[in-house]
Amino acid sequence: MSATLVSPPKVITPSSPKLTARQYRRRVGRGVLLVVMILVAAVMLYPFVVMLVTSFKTESQYLIGHGSSLQSWKDLNQTLPVGQELLNSTIICSASIFIVLVVGGAAGFAFAKLQFRGSNVVFLTVVSAMMVPLQAILMPEFVNMAKLGLTTSYFGAVIVYAALGTPFSIFLFTTYFRRIPDELIEAGIVDGLGYTGVLTRLILPLALPAIATVTVLQFIQIWDDLLVGLLFLQNPSQRPITVGLAALAAGRTTSIPELLAGSLVSALPAMLVYLGFQRFLIQGLTMGIDR
Amino acid sequence: MADVVFERVSKIYPGGSGVAAVNDLSLTVADGEFMVLVGPSGCGKTTALRMVAGLEEITDGTIAIGGTVMNNVLPKDRDIAMVFQNYALYPQMTVAQNMGFALKIRGVAKSEIAERVNEAARILRLEEYLDRRPKALSGGQRQRVAMGRAIVREPQAFLMDEPLSNLDAQLRVEMRTEIARIQRLLGVATVYVTHDQTEAMTMGDRVAVLRGGLLQQVDTPQDLYDFPTNEFVAGFIGSPPMNLIVASLQEERGQMKAHFGDQSLLIPERYRQTHALQAWIGRPVVLGFRPEDLVVDSSMTDDLISARVDLREALGSEILAYLAISSSTDVVLDALPTTDAETVRKRSRVVARLSARVDVVEGGLITLSLKTDNLHFFDPGSGTSLRALTS
Repeated sequence: MSATLVSPPKVITPSSPKLTARQYRRRVGRGVLLVVMILVAAVMLYPFVVMLVTSFKTESQYLIGHGSSLQSWKDLNQTLPVGQELLNSTIICSASIFIVLVVGGAAGFAFAKLQFRGSNVVFLTVVSAMMVPLQAILMPEFVNMAKLGLTTSYFGAVIVYAALGTPFSIFLFTTYFRRIPDELIEAGIVDGLGYTGVLTRLILPLALPAIATVTVLQFIQIWDDLLVGLLFLQNPSQRPITVGLAALAAGRTTSIPELLAGSLVSALPAMLVYLGFQRFLIQGLTMGIDR
Repeated sequence: MADVVFERVSKIYPGGSGVAAVNDLSLTVADGEFMVLVGPSGCGKTTALRMVAGLEEITDGTIAIGGTVMNNVLPKDRDIAMVFQNYALYPQMTVAQNMGFALKIRGVAKSEIAERVNEAARILRLEEYLDRRPKALSGGQRQRVAMGRAIVREPQAFLMDEPLSNLDAQLRVEMRTEIARIQRLLGVATVYVTHDQTEAMTMGDRVAVLRGGLLQQVDTPQDLYDFPTNEFVAGFIGSPPMNLIVASLQEERGQMKAHFGDQSLLIPERYRQTHALQAWIGRPVVLGFRPEDLVVDSSMTDDLISARVDLREALGSEILAYLAISSSTDVVLDALPTTDAETVRKRSRVVARLSARVDVVEGGLITLSLKTDNLHFFDPGSGTSLRALTS
């Protein structure tokens, strides 16, 4: 049998770079996209930049248009109990999100993985509650809380926020948990876990993206909310920061730099939470699961 | 160490049509035995396994492990370990943590957990992977970790649900021998579920063939191959499967002959006794013979079968020739009670396993000799082996 000689592969030496039409179009397209994104970013960031710059002026400097000073920040601290209101917002947010996560996680696991009669009907009923706006049930809700004496403590607002946020949380967790293989749960059961152990030791550690998503979305919603804080927290010492700022804005003489300083203080935590959980948020919203 | 005993076990899913996924299964897996449950999809093999694990409720009958009835015992208290089809490794834990998790839940001391995990890792050659997470492992490595998780438990019984089905062909062959080796080393009763009859034949001490929730036959692999009790087992075990054709049994000058189409085959006298063929003279029977019993042998002048080659598959060391038996369909139509046209067409086609040196041409005619040492006869109505009917 004769052997066929195979010629050595052709060595390609780099010559002067020459773009094909396709590569050229791609580069131009990317450039246009970059310019558009810069413009959009500028438009989105402009209000924050104005807030930041203006908050470091006095009222007169603001009217003139130049100058900088820390006076507005000092005035804000004297006008509003900023520290106390930030603490109130943190307490309300933390308690509400904790309830939302606990109830949503447990219910989501039950709907996704446990077989019980009527689960579909119950699930649909819970999820349909997402379509009920707060404004539609605000008055009856207020009457209930007032009768229970919960409008003078954090509990009233926490319960309302938790009730508003739980349906979405249940929906998200149920969808997320449905993608977890049943065999993982069965392996845990055979290894010796009960359903509670399966949830806490196996499922929840895998659900960090979903937990982050619920946390971030609920935090932004609760932290920035005005209506519930205004109605369900009658005690001035328990007011959240948004209510405090609204009171400041409604004052007879409003210092714009002072108001913007307060707005910045209010907006910053939500921004920081979002930036911190951003990676998990994308995973959670796209429902990725690593097997 | 313990045995696993199914005693008339049935499983009927509520709300369904009342069809039993497992129907009156009685089977004993002895201590240290490797029992394979094999059958087509939906035959009930996985359901039977899951009932042993406690992951499915038992509708009727009892399952006992080590003499203790387990019907109302929680899975965690049954002292069994299970290897799943998709491994079911905990993705957030390392290999070592996966393997030691069950022991940790039971409150075993850390030092003992480490000792057992290291020993299992040594057996499974996983020492260098203990700190890795499952996503950093290959399919075969994950499978070994799943085995390791079962081994460290030192259970009374191993349960394996198609653990090799997600592996490529080469890895499957490697892991087959690995699993068999480990099972022999540990000597624990093992129930292994597969749909692959090659795995069943090569791994099991005994093989239980299921179909439609019913146990067809439980026997050693060789006995299943040589003495199938019905057509289903005969056609399921063996690759390629046994050839089954309908023939009319006639007596001519004191000799029995099987007629199919315009061909006939002389049946050795001993089959008259072993299969009680006297009662079947003048009636159709299903004749079975293995593909390797069709040979090209110019010295043989009896028991010749002529056929047209429909398809030729060259496998390197051998050739599989798919043959159309001449004019057998007339006999088939007359003989069969069924009107299933597909079944009729199948029964006129046979497969021969021939040496790679045999000249086989698609579309051409070929004459083969049939070795009559291992013929099988089945009742065309029930499919039961006539040998089984006599015993």
